[in-house]
Amino acid sequence: MENDPIFQPLKFRNLTVKNRIFRSSISGRWDNYDGSGTQARVNWEEKFAKGGVGAIITSFVPVHISGRILPGYPMIDADDKIPFWRHVIDTVHKYDCKFIIQLSHGGRQRDVPGVENFMTPGISSTSHQDTFHGLLCRAATQKDIDNLVRWFAEGARRAREAGADGVELHSSHGYLFTQFLSSAVNDRKDKYGGPVENRARFLVEVIRAIRREVGNDFHLQAKLNAVDAGNALYPWEKKGNTLEESLQIAQIAEAEGVDAVHVSIGSIFPHPQLPSGAFPPDELNWWYGGMGSSGVRAYLNYAMFHFKILRPIFLYLWNRTKKDRPIEAVCAEEAREFKRRLTVPIINTGGYQDGTLIRKVIREGYVDAVSIARPLIANNNLPLILKAGDEPKQPCTFCNRCLVNAIANPLGCYDPRRFGSHEEMIKEVMTVYRPQEFPAAGEADSVALSPSWEAKRYGSEPTTH
Amino acid sequence: MDQNLPPIEGTTRTRAKDRVLVDNVYGSPVDLWQHKFRRVGCLIVLALLALIVIWAIWRFTRDSTEQYSDIREHYKYGSIGAEVGGTLSDAVGGLLPPERIFAVLPAMFPDRLPRGYAGLGFITEPGRELPIGVSERFRLGFPQVGLNCSVCHVGTYRLNPNTKPTVVLGMPANRLHLQEFFEFVVNATLDPRFTPDNVIGHINKTNDPLSPLDELLYRYVLIPRTVAATLELKGYMGPLIGDPRITRWGAGRVDTFNPYKAIQFHWDLDRLPIEELSAPSDYPALWNQRIRGDNNMELHWDGNNPSLDERNRSASLGAGVTPTTLDRPALKRVADWVKDLPVPRYPLPINEPLAARGAAIYARECTACHGDHRFRQRFYDASTMPRLGKVQPWPTVGTDRQRLDSYTYTFSQNQYTLYPGSDDRFRHFRKTNGYANQPLDGIWLKAPYLHNGSVPTIRDLLNDPALRPKVFYRGYDVLDTQKLGFISTVAEENGTPYFRYDTSVPGNHNTGHRWGTTLPDADKDAIVEYMKKF
Repeated sequence: MENDPIFQPLKFRNLTVKNRIFRSSISGRWDNYDGSGTQARVNWEEKFAKGGVGAIITSFVPVHISGRILPGYPMIDADDKIPFWRHVIDTVHKYDCKFIIQLSHGGRQRDVPGVENFMTPGISSTSHQDTFHGLLCRAATQKDIDNLVRWFAEGARRAREAGADGVELHSSHGYLFTQFLSSAVNDRKDKYGGPVENRARFLVEVIRAIRREVGNDFHLQAKLNAVDAGNALYPWEKKGNTLEESLQIAQIAEAEGVDAVHVSIGSIFPHPQLPSGAFPPDELNWWYGGMGSSGVRAYLNYAMFHFKILRPIFLYLWNRTKKDRPIEAVCAEEAREFKRRLTVPIINTGGYQDGTLIRKVIREGYVDAVSIARPLIANNNLPLILKAGDEPKQPCTFCNRCLVNAIANPLGCYDPRRFGSHEEMIKEVMTVYRPQEFPAAGEADSVALSPSWEAKRYGSEPTTH
Repeated sequence: MDQNLPPIEGTTRTRAKDRVLVDNVYGSPVDLWQHKFRRVGCLIVLALLALIVIWAIWRFTRDSTEQYSDIREHYKYGSIGAEVGGTLSDAVGGLLPPERIFAVLPAMFPDRLPRGYAGLGFITEPGRELPIGVSERFRLGFPQVGLNCSVCHVGTYRLNPNTKPTVVLGMPANRLHLQEFFEFVVNATLDPRFTPDNVIGHINKTNDPLSPLDELLYRYVLIPRTVAATLELKGYMGPLIGDPRITRWGAGRVDTFNPYKAIQFHWDLDRLPIEELSAPSDYPALWNQRIRGDNNMELHWDGNNPSLDERNRSASLGAGVTPTTLDRPALKRVADWVKDLPVPRYPLPINEPLAARGAAIYARECTACHGDHRFRQRFYDASTMPRLGKVQPWPTVGTDRQRLDSYTYTFSQNQYTLYPGSDDRFRHFRKTNGYANQPLDGIWLKAPYLHNGSVPTIRDLLNDPALRPKVFYRGYDVLDTQKLGFISTVAEENGTPYFRYDTSVPGNHNTGHRWGTTLPDADKDAIVEYMKKF
């Protein structure tokens, strides 16, 4: 396809990406418990680089152990992590793929705090528990905030030393930055709470510290919520930031020198409206139990998922506002407002898979680029497929089984409908443990799971081989 | 572990036995929060449960009814406890469905009751939802309705068809079709259209729709229970409801003791001789009760009991009271009041000379058994009225004997089993062999005459039984000023049919009481004129 808008380079102030598809931040618990990286992470990122994405935005990379959302995620909290990241970056660069490290801190949103964090509540803007799992927290002191700012700046420095092409501040989805930015969460009475410019102060301080640390010639982007929709799950909760407030925050960030804005939505993650699609109660029953001790409401949620009679209650709440949004390009309309208001390029996430739709939003000026997560897990080579003018034969169904499995299991596509059998599906998931060039070793001795278990899990007859 | 970690309160060193490891139990922040919350949560849940229990006790055990300061209102509308009562698990008493259901039955079944309860002779006063004689009481969690004394002891009269009826308290309920009323309630409640949806729909069409909670309670508790209770009642009443062999009660009459046998003692009426089940008799009046009681006069038609208290309690059983649901203070208030309830005066001029002539004949022919006009001022003289209030043996009186025969020895035995072990236990009921001579105070309002109301006027009664009307109509309340009684030749008025009384039907015979029948007509007319003064 000539002049395919997807495959035009995108030029940022300090970075040029070969096409308009970014691998969105997506994690997976296959690094070491202490946050040091493993070969699996290298293999994982290489899959997407090989598949043709222009740039990879990493997993959620904590700048400090206190902000880790799940054990088994790679961190950038100390200089001894630099060699690992350099190795990852060298690997993806072989494919002319850029690599952007997502500097993150979960604040109160730590789905599994891990033994390091278990005895201390998360640091947040507030002392009020989160609205979904009841994750406890305490309001950050000035000293805490100074530390956090420093940790982010040091993280950026380490990223640049490792050879990363840029960093992204994960200031959306309910993590620490959102906890400061959102009017639904931030109840501070000091200079970090109140009007928008106060709530944005923490973000501004981090941006300034990073610029001081790494200079102005290093790519720095911010992922921001277009709307919080804090009352999407429980209607009695506060709504949070409106689009207008979010646009003001984005303008402040732009003025402070961010090179791009990555637009998303949702006061928590996962949020009823993002990721779009289903919320599988069977998987929640199987895997949510691991979060049982994380928050004070987690056991109640677990009961909702575990007892079939209660599931409709939760699913009603979860699904009731979904109808307001499409499955694909969930928040493109809001992203267009960012595009209109800002001069820096806009990246947008939220259910992008269809090539025609991606081309439309780029061509019609909604966004400059899209970032994709779940459809890329389903088809690591989605960019190459689109480049060939095709559509994926087994597309992502937005079933969100990957999302729920991520709490406990190696990340991958867990939609059995896309595979011939359960074994085939697991084999695909496990490829992350083998470098790309290696043959699929151990094929002969793959463990066959009992047919009855499989039938029970998927409610269908097991596939015979 | 870190000794600075807070142990969970109350769980430290839970086991100190030698063989069990002694250790502290620590709490993460989440544990501590949940521990605190669960305590508060449990307290909240317990408090809510306690509130629900208190509310349920208040709602389902409350027994309250409106207290009327005016005794006349109390008499007409006050409850004597005839509503369903007892406990939720063991409801007793009561003959009628709950108030909200009772109120919508006529609207639900216009085919069965085209003129509403008024069409059955109930008297409705302006501003009142329920007719006279129907009381309301909150019992077993719902407003219930029951009958009280006035349902059978309030009547009306008119001087001509165009005037408004005058309501007289204590007068026999001359228009009331009690049998048809029970038949309507039973048949409507057991009608296939008596469904929760239909009942609730009709209730919610009124100005006072049910709350959602009440709708649930009506749908799943009250309406099914009403149907079950009605089935039970119908089972007990057996042939008294709808069996064509049973003599119809008609307006102003009731079978006093057969329903009593069924409802209180659960007799199988199908096993009784059919003639025992056809014993309707007129409602008596409730005036001047004290003089009757003080002088030991017999109070029932057959003279089976001279005790006012026992008669009152027994009569209330007929209204649906049981020994456990009887409201004794409310009944006593009525009983005390009717002791001196006066008789209204005849409202038209009396031909005094003629009455004076009649008085003399009456004194000769009648006073010994029935007293005279002074009874209305509570005058009683045992020497001149030796048989007043006493039983006249049946061979001498000779009126229809089915009422006499319906009160049996076995039944009186059963009555003695009521109110066991209390001062309320009956002691005066007895089987007799005749009918009691009644005082004739207010006789102008007590028509038709004889115990079974088989003779429409006093003048007819003074004729030989063969000359008395064979067929007449009851329920019309315009006074017959010539013959003394109600006009009995009107078959219907404004679409309301009156009860056709056929004296050839068993229980309806107009035979007997031949006293005075041989007097010259002029003497009979004089007696009639005199008796207007009663």
